[in-house]
Order: sequence, then structure tokens, then C-alpha cells
Amino acid sequence: MLDTVVQNMGLLCCRQKRGNQATTEENDKAAEIERRIEQETKAEKHIRKLLLLGAGESGKSTIFKQIKLLFQTGFDERELQSYTSVIHANVYQTIKILHDGAKELALSEAGSSKYELSVDNKEIGDKLSEIGGRLDYPRLTEELVQDILKLWRDPAIQETYARGNELQVPDCADYFMENLQRLSEENYIPTKEDVLHARVRTTGVVEIQFSPVGENKKSGEVYRLYDVGGQRNERRKWIHLFDGVTAVIFCAAISEYDQTLFEDENKNRIMETKELFEWVLKQKCFEKTSFMLFLNKFDIFEKKVAKVPLNVCEWFKDYQPVSTGKQEVEHAYEFVKKKFEELYYQNVTCDHQDRVFKIYRTTALDQKLVKKTFKLVDETLRRRNLFEAGLL
Amino acid sequence: MPMYTGGQVLDLETAVKDGILGGGGGGGVICDDVTTPNLGKLDLKKMIEQLDSIEVPSVFICPISLEPMQDPVTLCTGQTYERSNILKWLSLGHFTCPTTMQELWDDSLTPNSTLNHLIHTWFSQKYLAMKKRSQDVQGRSLELLEVLKTVKGQTRVNTLKELRKMVTTHESARKTVAENGGVSFVSSLLGPFTSHSVGSEAIAILVNLQLNSDSITNLLQPTKISLMVDVLNEGSLETKIDCVKLMGILFAASDIVPSLSLLVGVLRLVKDKRHPHGILAGLRLLKIISTQESLGNSIISIGGVPQLVEMLPHFNSESLELCLYVLKVLSSIPHGALALKNCSNLIPNLVKLLMKTSENCTKFALSILLEVCKLSPEESAATAVNAGLAAKLLLVIQSGCNPELKQLSSELLKLCSQNCRASIFISKCKLTRTLQ
Repeated sequence: MLDTVVQNMGLLCCRQKRGNQATTEENDKAAEIERRIEQETKAEKHIRKLLLLGAGESGKSTIFKQIKLLFQTGFDERELQSYTSVIHANVYQTIKILHDGAKELALSEAGSSKYELSVDNKEIGDKLSEIGGRLDYPRLTEELVQDILKLWRDPAIQETYARGNELQVPDCADYFMENLQRLSEENYIPTKEDVLHARVRTTGVVEIQFSPVGENKKSGEVYRLYDVGGQRNERRKWIHLFDGVTAVIFCAAISEYDQTLFEDENKNRIMETKELFEWVLKQKCFEKTSFMLFLNKFDIFEKKVAKVPLNVCEWFKDYQPVSTGKQEVEHAYEFVKKKFEELYYQNVTCDHQDRVFKIYRTTALDQKLVKKTFKLVDETLRRRNLFEAGLL
Repeated sequence: MPMYTGGQVLDLETAVKDGILGGGGGGGVICDDVTTPNLGKLDLKKMIEQLDSIEVPSVFICPISLEPMQDPVTLCTGQTYERSNILKWLSLGHFTCPTTMQELWDDSLTPNSTLNHLIHTWFSQKYLAMKKRSQDVQGRSLELLEVLKTVKGQTRVNTLKELRKMVTTHESARKTVAENGGVSFVSSLLGPFTSHSVGSEAIAILVNLQLNSDSITNLLQPTKISLMVDVLNEGSLETKIDCVKLMGILFAASDIVPSLSLLVGVLRLVKDKRHPHGILAGLRLLKIISTQESLGNSIISIGGVPQLVEMLPHFNSESLELCLYVLKVLSSIPHGALALKNCSNLIPNLVKLLMKTSENCTKFALSILLEVCKLSPEESAATAVNAGLAAKLLLVIQSGCNPELKQLSSELLKLCSQNCRASIFISKCKLTRTLQ
């Protein structure tokens, strides 16, 4: 028995020795992993989380694309090409909406022939409407382009387009129709401008990480920007992103005061934005979060204000125009801005009063403007950071 | 003229230049031909006037008037005085030397030409140095203004910083900038895309310059005001004070409606107990805009009333008067009176303040109390009396102050007595038959 014991002891000792070696290796590895985790957690802490929120089609994704263009490597050729199908789809969707819309309007205004397509175009219209309703769109050929242009130039369609706010005509309609020839070329590669105009309903969440490079090229700031879908059914996914947010960039398209929702044709878009903004403001997790309100689509707003009075929107019903032209545009803008400001302070308690709240006038399609705006946002956030660290 | 000082032979120039006679505030700048006749023509009186803040060597000062001497004369005792002063002294019948108290054996006044010469030279040098410095300042500010038109980014910020320093310290810089289109140029730097650093410096410059009505109208554009509000909300204390000062100038000349963000920013400044200067500046602005009709509702909607009431005990007397003025204006609108009434510590705070500081404070406090009590007589009167109002009111009535205050007090007293049970009332103010 002693033999066995001795033998086993020997074995035991050996195993111990090998065991020790193994544990040291394991320990090293574990320590390395610990260190890595610590480093990354530390790095994470320095990453500022920015959240793009807003109703559908408010311009969030366009801002997202702009940031990508400005502070990352932009879009490479492959990515640009990937937008071709989207752009073509936009064209088909647009012309279908207009054609079907013309039919609807013709029905509702039985007396007039304003929305009656000319005989030649009726057949084209039906064909295009059918194509637009498919799941897969055909390539834009020269023939199709001619058809689309014929239809687009039909007075009935133009009349329908003038009432585009009652339908769900996307904002890029004009732009794509004007560039149709170019879009259909053999070796068409979308330009940056084309990509910015392209309309895809975002679903789910997209994120990019970037560092705004300052003048002196040294900036320790790292931002992570999240883009979300704005339609109602997408909003339940938002809540998962609400933790540890440095700033919310809330996009509100001020040009849509005469439009209704894609997902609910009885709801005015501005009213929806108003309620959404209120909801976001009340979220407990945003107590210390800075709020940057982007009053977007100013370029469309500018043109619309002269033709459509602000008071068609319930929220703006107490608006009184005072002059005309550029002055009036400014006056209207200040009115809208004041409304949002009042809304903000109505939903703010004393504890929130320290929160940063700034309003910016934006046109998301304008790269220079977005760059300037973001510079300001960056400056504000950096100052806020210093202030919170007690250094200001 | 050679002078002997401690064994060293000095000429006049050196003596004056090295400040041997004392007196600071001079530059090392010396004009070459100090003793030329030209300078003698420079009116000494004028130079003394323009150099009034300079420290003058004690030996140049007349012992009677303590002013620099322009015509020094020496008595037989060897003491030197300004001629007109010693003549006046003597004409009053004194026959002594004012400083040594010795009796004069000789009434002659000898002009002290040495001292006269020294005084002239010293002042001339200081004057010329000042003139040169001022020209330097003017030249430099003009230069900076030109530079500003071409640079951007950090260089722009630095240039603005330097210009700001010049404008805050030198009157000549202010004049130069104003006369060379500086106001409109700096104003043009303010816009929706102005960074904070540029904005804060520009505002700090503008606040020191004279603004005519055109400049004011220009600065009242909504985008510029928005920027000022942003700078106010994000800036350091000095920047905040500059902003409210500038806005005070602008708003005094117009009836612009202050935005909610502006009010929130000003309130934040007013609540900061660490910085009484900020509080005062903020309250000054509030007073200026309190004439605005919609101000009341705006302040109430951002919850400003309870915040102001809470700060009452912490204000110094000047701030207190301003705050009470604003609250008085608020109390005259229905929502305002209601908001005030809802502040539980309003009445105790106000009662404590009566007759404590200035008459105006008491007047405003009484007006506020009156409005609040009128709103809910029973409730407020009870609170007020409990806080010791009645005794204070009697104090006011019996004191020798303004009849307006007495009027307010008796009105208030009547209100209280109507709404309080007589026994409580009397016990609370230990009245005697004087009430009746």
C-alpha cells in the first residue's frame, strides 16, 4: 500500500508541477483579458454617445450620411454604387405616387379635368404604376426614362405635384426627376449629392464612430452616432439606446406643417413631431442629456412659407404674418423656433434647467451647413464636459 | 543744471528720467529735446489736468492745497508753497509759516525757479510719454481691427482677445475702434454660426463701446440675440456679465420680447450665490425688461417666481431693491400675484425686509404684500400677521417716511384687521388704543 501511496504521491507531485505551469499560463491569459476589458471600458467612457431622434422623414439619416461624409472616409465606390438601386426605386415610387394621386384627385374633383391625364399618357401611367407596385424594380432604361419624363411633364401630374403635401410624395422627387437622364446612364455611379437625396426608410439602428478633427488636428473626442427609424412602429426600438447618452439630436422638419404622416394620413406631421418631442423630453434617462434641436428642411420651408400660410397647422394657428419676402421667412422661422422653445420649457422641471438646450437651423442636404452646425454642437459639448468636470 | 545727490552729479534730465524724484506711472520713454523752449509753451495747467491719475513726487506738492504747484514761492523759513495759496493764508491774517508754525520775520515771497523748472520738466516728460503711449494704443487698435478683417479661426480669437484688452483699458482705443467702423464690423461677427470663443470676445468688446441707434437696431436682429443668449448660457462669469450688460443697453432701446432661453439664463445668473456681481448684473437686466408686457407670463412659465422669492434673503441691498421692483411688477398681473401667493416663504421673507434697508425696498415689499393679500385675504392676512407684519406696519406708519408708504401700510393694516380675528391681531402686535 505504501508503494501505491508513494507512487501516487509522485504522480501527484508531478501533476501539481504541471498544474502550476498551467495555472500560471491561465493566470496570465486571464490577467491580459482583464486588462483589455479595463482598457476598453475606460475607452468606452470617453466615447460620447449621440442619438439622432425624430419622426419619419425628418432628416435623421441625411445628417447621418453627412457626418459619414465629413468625418469618416465618406462613401467608397462600392457603397456609392449600392445606392443605384435605391435611387431607381425612388424614381419609380415617386411617379407611381403621383400617378395614383392624380387618379384620386380626379375622382374627388369630378367636375374639373385638371387631374385628367392626356390620352397618350394614360397608358404610360398605368404601365409605370404597375412597375412601381412591384417588389423588384427593373433597371432604368432609356425607354422607361422617356416614359417617365412624358408623364412627369403632363399638366395633370404637375397639378398633382402641387398638391403633393396631401399625398406622400417624397422630398427628393424634384431632384431626381430633374436628373433622370443622368441616373439612367450605362455607367451611372451615384454622386454624393445623389446619395444624400436618396430616400430609404431606416429600420433598426445604425451607428458610426468618428472623431471630429479640429483645426489643430488634435482632438480626443470620439463620438458614436446612432441613427434610428422614425416611423411609429420603429420607435419601440429606441428605448434600448437611451442609456448613457451625451446628447440627443432631435430632428424636426419644419417644412412639413401642411403634410400628414406616412403611417397615419389623418395626423399632421408637425403635431406628431410636437408630441414626440414632448415624449422624449420627459424620459427620465435624459435628465442630464444635452438636447440639440435641429429645425431641418429650412430650404423647403423658405419656399413654402410664401405659398402656404403657417396657420394651416393647428399648433401654429396664432401666427400673424407681418411682411413679405425674406423678412417674412425670418419672422416665420422665429415664430416656429419660439413655439419649440416654449414646448421645451413647458416640459422641463427645475432639475432639468441646467440641461443644455440649443436650437439650430439646418438644411441637412447642405454639407457646408452641416459641417458648421456640427462644429458648434461639438464646441458646446466640449464646453459642457469641462463645465461638468468643474474646470469652467 | 547739475544736482548733487549722494555724491553723484546728475543733470536734470537724468534726475527726472530715473525717477529720482519719485513718482511712478511714467514710462521709460524720454523725448530727446526735453529742455527746448517748445515744451515750455505746453500749458502746465493742462498737463497737470490730463495727468491727474499719475503719482506726483511729494516735493512738487503744495502743503496747503496738496495739489501740484504751478507757481512755487518760498517763504523766509525756506518752505515752498503755491503762490495763490500762501497769499490767501497771509491775507487771512496769519503771519506764520503754515508747516513750521514759525512766525515770519519777513513777508517776501521768493519765486522758486529751480522747483518751477523741475516741475515743468517732469510734467512735460510724463505728458509726452502718455501721448506716445496713447498713440501706440490707437495705432495698435487700428492695426488689430484691420487684421480682424482677414483672419479666421484661432488667430481671429486671439486678435479679438487682444483688442478686447485694449478696449477695456484705454479710452483712446475705444475711440479709435468706434471711429473706424469697429462697431459694425464686430457686430457682423455675431451670427448663427459664431463659435463661443469669438462670440464672447466680440460681446466683451461691444459692451465697452458707444452704440448709436443704428448699431443697436443691427444688434437686435433675432439671430444675433440668439447668439448672445447662447453665449450667456455657456460662458464664464465675466462673459455672462458682459452679455447681460450689452442686452440691457439693447433692450432699453426697444420693446423686444425676451425669449425663454434668455430668461432662464438670466435667472441662473441671479441664483448664483457665489457671485454677487453676477446677481446684480442679472437683476439690472431683469428690471430693464420688466416693462415688457409678456415678461411676466414668461417668467412665471419658467418657474422664476419661486426662485426669485427664495433668493430674497441672500441679496445685498442694491440687488434686493431691483428684485423687489421686478416682483412688484409681477404682482400687478393676475398670474403673477397668484404665483407669488403660492410661494410659501414669500410673506415671511417680505415681512422681514420691511424697514430693514431702503425706503424703496419697503415700498415695493408693501405693494407686493398688498396685491397678494388682496388675492386671498383671509389666508394671506393670517400668514402675514403670524410673521409679524402688523408690528412692522405700525413702525412704518409711525416713522417719518414717505406718505406713499404710510398709505400702503394703512391699506394693508386695514386688510389684515378685517380678516383676522381681533384678539389674535391685537395680541400679535401688542397694540394699545392707538390702533383705533
